[in-house]
Amino acid sequence: MIRTLLIFFLLTTPFVHSQKIDPDLLNIKKRMDSVKQFSASLILDLDVPFINMPTKTAKISYSVGQKMKFSSKDFVMLPKRGLDFSLTEIFKYPFITVERGIEKRNGRSIKVINVIPTGNESELALVTLYMDTKAVRIVQSEIITRKDGAYTLMMNYKLLKDILPGYVEATFAIEKLKIPLNFMGKGTSIDRKKMRSMETKTGKIKMQLNNYIIKY
Amino acid sequence: MKRLLSAEFLKLIKQSKTYYALGAILIIELLILMTAYFQGSTILDLLLDNLKQSFYFEGNLLNGNLIMYIVLNSLWFNVPLILMIVTSGIVTDEYRYGTMQTVMLQAVDKWKFMAAKYITAVLFTVVVIAFMMLTTFILAYSIFGRGDLVVYLNTLNFFEDADAFQRICYAFASGAVSMVFYCVVSLTLAIFIKEATKTWIAACLFLIITTMLLKVDFVLPVINNFFFPKLIDTWQQFFYNVPDWSAISINTIILILYTLVFAAAGTFIFHKKDIE
Repeated sequence: MIRTLLIFFLLTTPFVHSQKIDPDLLNIKKRMDSVKQFSASLILDLDVPFINMPTKTAKISYSVGQKMKFSSKDFVMLPKRGLDFSLTEIFKYPFITVERGIEKRNGRSIKVINVIPTGNESELALVTLYMDTKAVRIVQSEIITRKDGAYTLMMNYKLLKDILPGYVEATFAIEKLKIPLNFMGKGTSIDRKKMRSMETKTGKIKMQLNNYIIKY
Repeated sequence: MKRLLSAEFLKLIKQSKTYYALGAILIIELLILMTAYFQGSTILDLLLDNLKQSFYFEGNLLNGNLIMYIVLNSLWFNVPLILMIVTSGIVTDEYRYGTMQTVMLQAVDKWKFMAAKYITAVLFTVVVIAFMMLTTFILAYSIFGRGDLVVYLNTLNFFEDADAFQRICYAFASGAVSMVFYCVVSLTLAIFIKEATKTWIAACLFLIITTMLLKVDFVLPVINNFFFPKLIDTWQQFFYNVPDWSAISINTIILILYTLVFAAAGTFIFHKKDIE
């Protein structure tokens, strides 16, 4: 029995490790890698039930091998995930892909795949990518991280040939605010019913990206 | 009336008590500014703690505007105390030094005499609040710089620098109306009590009770909305995302009416009383 099991593992393990990465994902990665540098202006709108924030503007810049940089005159809140257009985070550690099928969106065929990191080093637990294989770009991704919760990212492009999105909408779960009473304003009242219903809410951050300067 | 007013102003300018009060307000301001910096960083940690999981923050929230907001929260108990001591002195000093009889022996209308005192107290209060506002702005902005303001009032409200500055100015103006109310009350108390120390105790008691009643739920909406202790912190309304301008206007008008009622009552009592 033990010998049979040993033979089974010896035969099957190499197949697991040599599982191929989806070729369409590799194509998108290759296209993204052609972008060596880019900068853009960013208009941010935060949509969280218990946060009122005016529309903010910022500048973003990216160079190969470096982290995305943000600059703004105002205070801005930027989502931790969602602006990794180069897919660096996914490709940083080994992973496998599993095809989930094709779905139609606005008359276009969208290929759905799961990206599953194989090691423990990756901060990502599971990523679902929705790829427009003809336009060679990602239109949606659902990211489940090990520590930072789950995110859904919707990406819209201005033109069919565009490589980088003109609009990104990041949806995330956010816990209610826990404010000790002594820090509350004198006029603040506590609506316990409302507070309980607000334990976990869905928040959205809408980002418009304009004035791209892309260097290939 | 002009002569009475200029005489009252001269008395106020000449007395050392006035400058002690201004010095005390400046010391309180500096102390609050220092503690506000540490309080500010704790508040920001608490407010933004669960947002840190999902967001990167770019920019500085621990700036002059947040410090100003914390200062505004702390000032409205300490400052009226000093103002009430100074303004009640406008009447009690006259009784103490016996100048009340001297003035009343002249051809002076009692109500005009008292009206001049009330007007002096009101103008003095407004000048002190303007001085306080100017010094706090200069200190807060020069030490801590400018930036967006974050306030928690049922929701987390962010205001851009220019908007925050405007709201803080409005809050000071609204606070000034509350301070005028306290000063007028202390002057009325001085007319009743006459003696300085007893008037201070009564004024302090009035301030403490008003502050305590601010949080009490009186069940009846009329009392909850229009009883004067409930109108004292109208300035907070400016830090809601969308200020309720009609509520702010109504609260301010009612507080001004209360002030006029207290002033009229004081003047009436003084007019009816014999000078001993």
